Amino acid sequence: MAPSLLHPPSHLSPAAALQLSQQAPFVLQSSPATVSSAPLTALFSASETPDLWLKYENLLLSCLRTGDEHAAHQCLDRLVARFGENNERVQALKGLVREADATNNADLEKILRDYDNILAENGTNIPVTKRRIALLRSMGRVPEAITMLVRFLGFSPTDPEAWSELADLYLSQGMYSQAIFALEEVLVMAPNAWNMHARLGEVQYMAASATGASDAESLKYLAEALKRFARSVELCDDYLRGYYGLKLVTTKLINYPPKPAVVKATDVDDFTVPTTPTVEKLNELATEKLSEIVRRYTAKERHWRGYDEAEIAAARELLAKDASQTEK
Amino acid sequence: MTWISKSTTFFGLVLLAHACYSAQEHSALQSFRTTSVVSPSSPGTTAVSLPIDISLETLVATAIICFGLALGTPPLRPIQWRVWAGKIEREGEEGFMNADGEVSRDYVGNPFKMLETRPGFVDIRRQRKEFAEWVRSSDERGEVQG
Repeated sequence: MAPSLLHPPSHLSPAAALQLSQQAPFVLQSSPATVSSAPLTALFSASETPDLWLKYENLLLSCLRTGDEHAAHQCLDRLVARFGENNERVQALKGLVREADATNNADLEKILRDYDNILAENGTNIPVTKRRIALLRSMGRVPEAITMLVRFLGFSPTDPEAWSELADLYLSQGMYSQAIFALEEVLVMAPNAWNMHARLGEVQYMAASATGASDAESLKYLAEALKRFARSVELCDDYLRGYYGLKLVTTKLINYPPKPAVVKATDVDDFTVPTTPTVEKLNELATEKLSEIVRRYTAKERHWRGYDEAEIAAARELLAKDASQTEK
Repeated sequence: MTWISKSTTFFGLVLLAHACYSAQEHSALQSFRTTSVVSPSSPGTTAVSLPIDISLETLVATAIICFGLALGTPPLRPIQWRVWAGKIEREGEEGFMNADGEVSRDYVGNPFKMLETRPGFVDIRRQRKEFAEWVRSSDERGEVQG
């Protein structure tokens, strides 16, 4: 079954994207190209729904990805005809199509200059600013992209998507504490996002394992990561990613060479490592849950088939490694 | 399960219709009697009362219809955040299908996934490259198999 056209397709697998873009001729044929607002024509033609334009936008993204330029341009033309050349979102989509069509660096530079021209007219054009940042990153100019994104967050600080992108950019540069800060900002705006809690835990785990982290620092990161993963499984029952992280962190804490002396929390925000029995109990719980998930997914039980195949494989590997270690 | 609810509701409706028809017939009969038997004593005082079996039938029919409609409701959605989130992770689309095997329209999966995929910052050139590679590798695999 093809995925819905009503959601942004950027996370889909290549096969699903192909399936979507193969629908393009059918969708383009069956949906109206323009919707008239004249009362008499509106009586006799299909009524306009917001879904229609969302569909065109998502179809455009899928078609660009699979290289179906013809259908992509058709979608764009319809969107332009409806919303006009100067709509901010349409401007960003037009830029996106040009980026996809660009063959060499000179083309990209030109697109970048055009973005600058649009932004010179209206500095708070959010979609185009985001496109410009994404293009800079795509061209490998990460520091510039970071500077621009920080400026963007200066005038639009309540955009969790942008904070999350900033965290990713910092992480790609190995700047862990900045990335953690940005992710914490995301959590301020989306405190119930269980995947972002797990993501923050992962970044903190990476920071703890990074070379150059002192013992005290890495212990602090591990404690924080423990807290984040625990929160993510609290927000979401049977969350594979959360339990996987919880198991990794607790295993690391148990085997941690300098036994964590009970460090008094100096700050209210500081989180001390729980006592060893608690950590061991958490580890046992995570092992138990992970093996349950893997077992029931492998048995193809009803209501347990929604997990990602690759994630299950990783969990199985982790469990196998753990089992071989305890045998020794 | 839907046929049970549908047949129960239908049965209840038939009962209700029957009760209505009986009541109508009864009142018609009553008025016929009052007009034919000329009783000068008290035409206004004969309060037309419905026999107890018709009232009972109406009540039972209503109860059966309510029961049938309640049977036909779709399974309830979880109202606890962690249960709902767990359902999304564990079951995926499968958990949000209706009886016809269609995923319900408002299903979006994990609504916070966009914080990780970030459609506003999509790197279309990398996606195109990855897609082209995927096509090439699947072609090769197809040739090996074929």
